[in-house]
Amino acid sequence: MLTGVRTNLSYLIFDALRTIRENPASAIFTAVTLGFSLAILAFFFIIFVNLNMAASGLADRVHMVVYVKDGFASYGPDKIKKDALGVLGVRSAEYVSKEAALKELKDSLKGRESVLDAVDINPLPASVEIKVLDAYMEPMLFGAVVDGVRRLQWAEEVQYSGKWLKKFSAFLKFTEVLAAVIGVFLTAAVVFVVTNTIRLTIYAKKDEIEVMRLVGAGRAFIMLPFVIEGVLHGLAGGVVSIGMLSVGMYAVSANVPAQMSFVIAMPATVPVISAALLSAGLIMGGISSVISLIRFLK
Amino acid sequence: MIQLFHVTKSYDKSFAALKDVSLKIAKGEITFITGPSGAGKSTLLKIIFGSESPTEGQIIIEGRNYFRIPPREITNLRRRIGFVFQEFKLLPNKTVYENVALSLKIMGVGAREERERVLKMLTYLKIIHRANFKTISLSGGEQQRVAIARALVKDPAIILADEPTGNLDPEMSIETMELFKEVNSRGTTVVVATHDKGLIDRYARRAIHLEAGRVVC
Ligand SMILES: Nc1ncnc2c1ncn2[C@@H]1O[C@H](COP(=O)(O)OP(=O)(O)OP(=O)(O)O)[C@@H](O)[C@H]1O
Ligand SMILES: [Mg+2]
Repeated sequence: MLTGVRTNLSYLIFDALRTIRENPASAIFTAVTLGFSLAILAFFFIIFVNLNMAASGLADRVHMVVYVKDGFASYGPDKIKKDALGVLGVRSAEYVSKEAALKELKDSLKGRESVLDAVDINPLPASVEIKVLDAYMEPMLFGAVVDGVRRLQWAEEVQYSGKWLKKFSAFLKFTEVLAAVIGVFLTAAVVFVVTNTIRLTIYAKKDEIEVMRLVGAGRAFIMLPFVIEGVLHGLAGGVVSIGMLSVGMYAVSANVPAQMSFVIAMPATVPVISAALLSAGLIMGGISSVISLIRFLK
Repeated sequence: MIQLFHVTKSYDKSFAALKDVSLKIAKGEITFITGPSGAGKSTLLKIIFGSESPTEGQIIIEGRNYFRIPPREITNLRRRIGFVFQEFKLLPNKTVYENVALSLKIMGVGAREERERVLKMLTYLKIIHRANFKTISLSGGEQQRVAIARALVKDPAIILADEPTGNLDPEMSIETMELFKEVNSRGTTVVVATHDKGLIDRYARRAIHLEAGRVVC
């Protein structure tokens, strides 16, 4: 099967390059189309990452407060925090002592602290502010966390905002479904474009393939130049998409005031994104050509 | 050894290009297939080569039944058969050298040996001065010589040549036949389809005459 392939790898690569050189217009068209699709895919991914970050911001707003029963103040903040963190789904727990609660209250009454002068014992209970892991931001799981917290010995009362929770969980579901749908569509589009171009090249070389078969060429020997061509198209498309993405990101950041540039979060560093785009192009190019070849050689 | 048993080939239902052909060509023989245009000479060679399959009948090449061997082995068998196609079947956008070298590349012959063998064959066939020309730019006779070079360069066990001298002048035709004779004397089985009376009279030790798809001896 691989007879002749190993000894002639450089010849086969050269052959693929020659095909591209003989029809540069088609090669450029493929690279640009592929580049566009990959850039859209990458843009979308960046938007998705940013949406998710925004969602995490929302998640921080969904928290619960557990009031500590008065008799348990002697337990000590560390023990109480540890108990809270031990409940499944809890991300962080912040102990607010009676004194801290009073101070907070005084701060919020700025200028009118005198209202409290009459009170000489602190009426406020100690509390624990709990944040929940993103994965539990969904009404049923969140409810389980609330139950877990409520079962702690020292827990008096649990307060949380259910309305925020519902909104947040709906938003998260929406972005996930959207991401999946658009991702699948874009990937399919990219594979379709490359498959089609490679198919055209294969049809243009139909007679040549027939001659190769007649002379005794094996499948690998016939397929390799086309696969290499597909991979090269893919790499070129990757380069084009990197260019488009740079221009796009520059345009976006130029229109966002400097002090707000944190608004755009990149999912990874520039070299990592570039490498990801190049390898995505490479893999899609290779897969597409194998798909169209197998169909043709059947 | 090539053996055909009651081979019939119909390209479409109403008409058979070969009718009940049985024949035997021994190893190391030179055999001519003769007959008028349309008699089925090319069809017969293609069936021996395995690029057309018979509608009925059996073919045994070197002890193997074509019906029983898997496609990959057909590829291997093809590497041991040199076929000179009537319509040449060269790669038009590749050079003369590349066309001839292709047979060797496929078999995994190393670069140095490849160069040696290809250049030797091109010299033999007096086409060396065109080595770096694309075959599309060559004359019919030149293309024919490239096709012959491609078939011979791999030292095949069997040569099937379909009108190999059809585009050559008489002198070149004689030289080509001499080349086939030489290859044959080294043990290669040679089958030549032609309607060139001169060649047949001069070289035929054995001729199989076809007439409307039937063998008439
Ligand atoms: N691919 C094909 N499809 C349909 N009919 C075909 C095909 N190839 C050959 N034929 C028919 O089969 C018959 C034999 O053709 P073949 O090419 O074998 O003749 P030939 O003896 O080689 O003729 P020539 O001397 O002109 O080359 C002819 O009538 C031809 O029209
Ligand atoms: Mg013919």
